[in-house]
Amino acid sequence: MEGIVKRFPGVLANAGIDFSLSWGEVHGLLGENGAGKTVLMSILYGLYQPDQGRIFVRGKETRIRSPHVAIQLGIGMVHQHFMLVPRLTVLENMAVGWEPRLGPLLDRRAMREKIEALVEEYGLEVDPDAKVEELSVGEQQRVEILKALYRGAEVLILDEPTAVLVEQEVEALFSTIRTLKEQGKAVVFITHKLHEALEICDRITVLRKGKNVGTLSASEATEEGLAEMMVGREVVFTVSPEPVKSEGRVLLSVEDLSARDDRGVPVVRGVSLQVYDHEILGIAGVQGNGQKELVEAIAGLRRPTSGRVKVGEHDVTGRSPHTLASRGLVHIPEDRHLRGLILTFSVEENAVLGRHREPRFALGPWAQRRSAIRAHAQELVRRFSVSVPGLSAPARTLSGGNQQRLILARELSRAPQVVLAVQPTRGLDVGGMEFVWEQFLKARKEGAGILLVSMDLDEVMMLADRIAVMYQGEIVAVLRRGEATKRELGLLMLRGKGAVD
Amino acid sequence: MGILSLNLFISALRLATPIALVALGETYSERAGVINVGVEGMALAGALSCAIVAYFTGSPALALIAAIGIGASLGALHAVWSVYLRADHVVSGAAVNLLVTGFALFLTRVIWGWRGTSPSAPTMNAWILVGVGVFLIALSQVYIFRTPWGLRLRVVGEHPRAADTAGINVYRTRLFYTVLNGALCGLAGAFLFNNLGRFTDGMVGGRGFIGIAAMVVGNYRPLPALLAAYLFGFVDALQMRLQEYIPSQFSLMLPYILTVIVLAGFLGRAQVPKALGKPYIKEQG
Repeated sequence: MEGIVKRFPGVLANAGIDFSLSWGEVHGLLGENGAGKTVLMSILYGLYQPDQGRIFVRGKETRIRSPHVAIQLGIGMVHQHFMLVPRLTVLENMAVGWEPRLGPLLDRRAMREKIEALVEEYGLEVDPDAKVEELSVGEQQRVEILKALYRGAEVLILDEPTAVLVEQEVEALFSTIRTLKEQGKAVVFITHKLHEALEICDRITVLRKGKNVGTLSASEATEEGLAEMMVGREVVFTVSPEPVKSEGRVLLSVEDLSARDDRGVPVVRGVSLQVYDHEILGIAGVQGNGQKELVEAIAGLRRPTSGRVKVGEHDVTGRSPHTLASRGLVHIPEDRHLRGLILTFSVEENAVLGRHREPRFALGPWAQRRSAIRAHAQELVRRFSVSVPGLSAPARTLSGGNQQRLILARELSRAPQVVLAVQPTRGLDVGGMEFVWEQFLKARKEGAGILLVSMDLDEVMMLADRIAVMYQGEIVAVLRRGEATKRELGLLMLRGKGAVD
Repeated sequence: MGILSLNLFISALRLATPIALVALGETYSERAGVINVGVEGMALAGALSCAIVAYFTGSPALALIAAIGIGASLGALHAVWSVYLRADHVVSGAAVNLLVTGFALFLTRVIWGWRGTSPSAPTMNAWILVGVGVFLIALSQVYIFRTPWGLRLRVVGEHPRAADTAGINVYRTRLFYTVLNGALCGLAGAFLFNNLGRFTDGMVGGRGFIGIAAMVVGNYRPLPALLAAYLFGFVDALQMRLQEYIPSQFSLMLPYILTVIVLAGFLGRAQVPKALGKPYIKEQG
């Protein structure tokens, strides 16, 4: 690919990128969110047409008008959001568009045989007759890879394939990638995780702001070097919290709280915890041990089955998020798109979401103070350096990192007493993560108490003054900073109380 | 003679036919992702054009072709609005209904001068159309679930982007099945005319909407939708007999009440195609 340029309204996604791929190599495409990795590969896959630039496939200049053309050229792509129909079977999903036929009918037997042959060849175990909706995310990804191979892919583009996988699945994926490489196929591995890129790739290309900042072989690359290329400056990997003195005031108190999940299973079982002023309390745990439900029960989004929640002196058990906010508790939700923002609303509307009824922003129930809202949004965007195409642009047009900045700006600008944050840095690039951490430390310094739930143990260990480990709906241990090693915490997360004894 | 005679079951089949044809058409278009509430108008247009052509040419065969053709054209109109111009599907369908209702009233007066009805015109045996309907439904059951084209149809309604990457033209697929839906509605209208032997402007009488209900009850599958249509036809036939015993104003309500009750039970359970009613935009920025 030579000099690829792609513009979207308000954004220059690719600003003249050169990229080459050889047979039998795994080529890492590294960059922060919004660096243009996915756009570049979507152009190669025919989803987008480049505004400028040329593409050569097997040495021949080619116009890739559609994914269908790309597939015929032997280029396959596994997207972050799978192109699978949940209600159909694996066999149907793989066959569509390239169906083996028996007269006018779909030849299921022939298709099944083809799938089995591929399963054998690449060691990707799947049941052709299972419905996709019954499969785990890792299995669905295997189906996507098989689908691409069935369609004759020689070049396989994997867009952030590990983002959705658990540890063992990542290992399995890497061994699949190695098999593909041995067969002489080429793999593009899009990621923003440095260690993954170094582990699996032969060559690594780093993109920054739509430009290729360099291609180097994995053997000569280091994590620090790559990170610097990604963000364009020295990165401090760890922010270090300066010691601050707590006054010992309890800001958030949870007493014997229990809650059920959506299926009615009790998943939070008698949790008690306190968050003090000038403190970050981290909750560590493997996903699915009740952290999500615990936070929802505190935040007024889920009715607890028993127990109390107090913000300062006030009992707020089961009260609405609006009431909680007026008591000084704000929530940085896990799902930015579902609960953090209204994607179709403008940046300025999102900036006052939840505060839109305040007299500052509204004239009674009927009218908004548009100029006050705009001024407030302008101020937030400036103070939290949110990069936006414009204040009236829909929130959907922001990159993930900037969406999170906007949410943080909105919530932290309320000078909260208590901040509930769940996975606040998930899916963010290094720069975005650092920003979030700094904001939390700033809020802590100003006296707020922060309850931080994260699956990322490094994040918790770095930020939290105390760490509570949650296991099967209970808090199995509370440790001060530096009291436990990563290994000990890991054991507590995986095995609960009995682990350390 | 009791109410539950063999006759009752036979006339139920006749009354079920237009409902089943609409249900089949709607199954196709909704499987492709297009909601078509214009079925009522498309069936009415089919009945009217059938009556006009039969009246002037005396040929029931030509009349049948006209009915199907008009239905298909209205389907194409709806597809252009909803698929290509991305209008709201329900609004576009409702526009078709209003258009046809007004036009039917106008044409009947201009041609026949009577208020909303035609004189009787040459017909074909309606049983032929019953047979055609049942055959098409059985065929469609195989088509949708056993053939490559049926698979593509299902993918277009569930995940158009996946279909697109598989080289399927989403727009053309949606156009085709919406036209097919219109044609089947036209056929339903042709049946109504041939069944009665004349045109009246209220002759569809909600059967298009009941057809959509039958599709929901059948969970987007042709054969179960036929059974659901038969249930509605049966209640319609039953209410005609009951008119001997209870005031017709009451018995006439029965099929509609049944629709409401059945829909209340099934609406939440049907596996609605994921992309139903959503416009497909090829390049998303």
